[in-house]
Amino acid sequence: MSTPIIQGCLRAVRIASMVTVALTPALIAAQGSAQFRERRNVITPAGPWTGARLPDGQPDVQGFWSNTIGNHNNVTNPQGRSAADDGPPREGPPRPARANAAPAERAPSRVSDPADGQFPFQPWARAKAEEFAAHLNDPTRPEYVEPFARCAPGGPTKSFMWHGYEIRQFPGYVVFLFDSGNRVIHLDGKPAPPAAISQWNGESRGRWDGNTLVVTVTNHNAKARFGRSGEFVSAAATVEERYVFDPAGGRFTYHGTYTDPSVLTRPFTITIPNKRITADTPVDDWNNQTFHANLVTPRPAGEPPLLEAYERICVEGNEGHGNPASATQP
Amino acid sequence: MIGPRSAIVIATVSTAFSLVVAAAAGAQSVSAEAPSTLPRSADGKPDLSGIWQALSGPEFDIEAHGPRPDAPPGLGIVEGGSIPYTPAGLAQKQKNYAARAAADPRNKCFTLGVLRGTYSGEPFQIFQRPRDLTLLYQFGHPVRTIHTNGTRHPDGHIDFWLGDSRATWEGDTLVVDVNDFNGETWLDRAGNHHSDALHVVERWRLIDANTLEYRATLDDATVYTRPWSLSVLLHRRREPGAQILENYCYTLGYDQYYPLPPASTSRTGPPASKTPASRAAQRSR
Repeated sequence: MSTPIIQGCLRAVRIASMVTVALTPALIAAQGSAQFRERRNVITPAGPWTGARLPDGQPDVQGFWSNTIGNHNNVTNPQGRSAADDGPPREGPPRPARANAAPAERAPSRVSDPADGQFPFQPWARAKAEEFAAHLNDPTRPEYVEPFARCAPGGPTKSFMWHGYEIRQFPGYVVFLFDSGNRVIHLDGKPAPPAAISQWNGESRGRWDGNTLVVTVTNHNAKARFGRSGEFVSAAATVEERYVFDPAGGRFTYHGTYTDPSVLTRPFTITIPNKRITADTPVDDWNNQTFHANLVTPRPAGEPPLLEAYERICVEGNEGHGNPASATQP
Repeated sequence: MIGPRSAIVIATVSTAFSLVVAAAAGAQSVSAEAPSTLPRSADGKPDLSGIWQALSGPEFDIEAHGPRPDAPPGLGIVEGGSIPYTPAGLAQKQKNYAARAAADPRNKCFTLGVLRGTYSGEPFQIFQRPRDLTLLYQFGHPVRTIHTNGTRHPDGHIDFWLGDSRATWEGDTLVVDVNDFNGETWLDRAGNHHSDALHVVERWRLIDANTLEYRATLDDATVYTRPWSLSVLLHRRREPGAQILENYCYTLGYDQYYPLPPASTSRTGPPASKTPASRAAQRSR
């Protein structure tokens, strides 16, 4: 605790432990988050890319990012109350009970289409999602445990509703390093693997169109849910994503459109605004899974602060839900 | 130690060249192609990008060993033949070996670590930028970053599963200094191990466009009587369409509980007579 880096390390460890208690109330009130969190969606319009490019011609969007709204407690009311608020008290200092603020004072539903902000579920699917939410804090069956609490990857969309993440780009690839799992977007046009390959984050094939990364997701196993509020689709869903980057470099907007006649009455789109994390972004427990790197003490004069992520490790420390195999070992 | 590994080398560089020989005293050396023929990044450094995989089986046991019910025989990859354990270190290794079926971190799907992840036998992909190398391991799907931007290790000690890696290029060899380990990872399925005092220096060197030599020196006074080295060749995966696939191994234990609705109905929607919910309830009873 004697140096900033050690504090940072402990914070990173604590964040990992939070995943192990993911059924407890949310991180939305985490200290410092107010400096990053916004109450409205800032949407980046599609258009040409006028910003910096990488040697292979890709728009340079590398760096650390986080969504500006909140976590996956409640997909359609992301800054309102959620089932997670009704769970047992979390470790650490108490936080004030959260009530629904007036609609004008909290962010809108992440479902941007249809206009009512609700998932266009078939009736049985809506009942199932509500059943999942009702049992979030009372997982009397294995399937009631939100898979994220077991360190499973978040799936194509929910990964953007969790902690900060990093984008790295390479010739032919855009790589997302999330707090739980990661994704490789292939830009080289190679075909997707056979349908027998079924993955948490799917297989992603993308292309750049101006300032927009257009991605088709296949081979997803539909095991991840959209949030602790229980929404889901089936493995038959098609997923089209558009990542619209502001050429000024500070923001991008994620749009994910799901089509799944077996679960939905019509397609829906989830929209998630994101903001870049810089060395000036206040370090907090929520958005900023990155810490000022190269923290040697004393820092040489004139050396700029850098950002660097601590390693993402989850199941190895997840004694609650994460690893049935280890739980059965002597 | 020399025969089969050299045979692999001969097979992979049989057309060439033998111009450069590793200078490490006592180390086996592998001939390399002329530097001008190696793939290079725009910054002139050797381009290590690609999907790599070890073929020589060190995952089973990095020391020489005969066949076992759970391992084929292997010549090992420890230079000099065996690991110079302290008596306590050897006793722990033997304890690990006896309990390996249950105690091997791999069998819990835990991150294999810097050493074992490299030669585990499952492929990994290197993505390279001037500032760093990103290593994506198929097994467990963790990511390791090797920083090549002149940054130093942070103040520590930090218990990282994959250590903290800071590297420099010495000619065409990437030299990586790794510390901040925890003591949780093993070096193979035979229970060879280290403590959190481990310090590793890796040397990554392209032998030719499709062969990557990996050499690591391990120093851990808690467990070993002296520093020792291992070396292994990694081979480029060149099948058309080759790619890393997800292997979030640790999800397999609960994979069966998701998704709902069950896969048998998900492609056609819920059956008319029963809802997926009621079917799921029936299955679970």
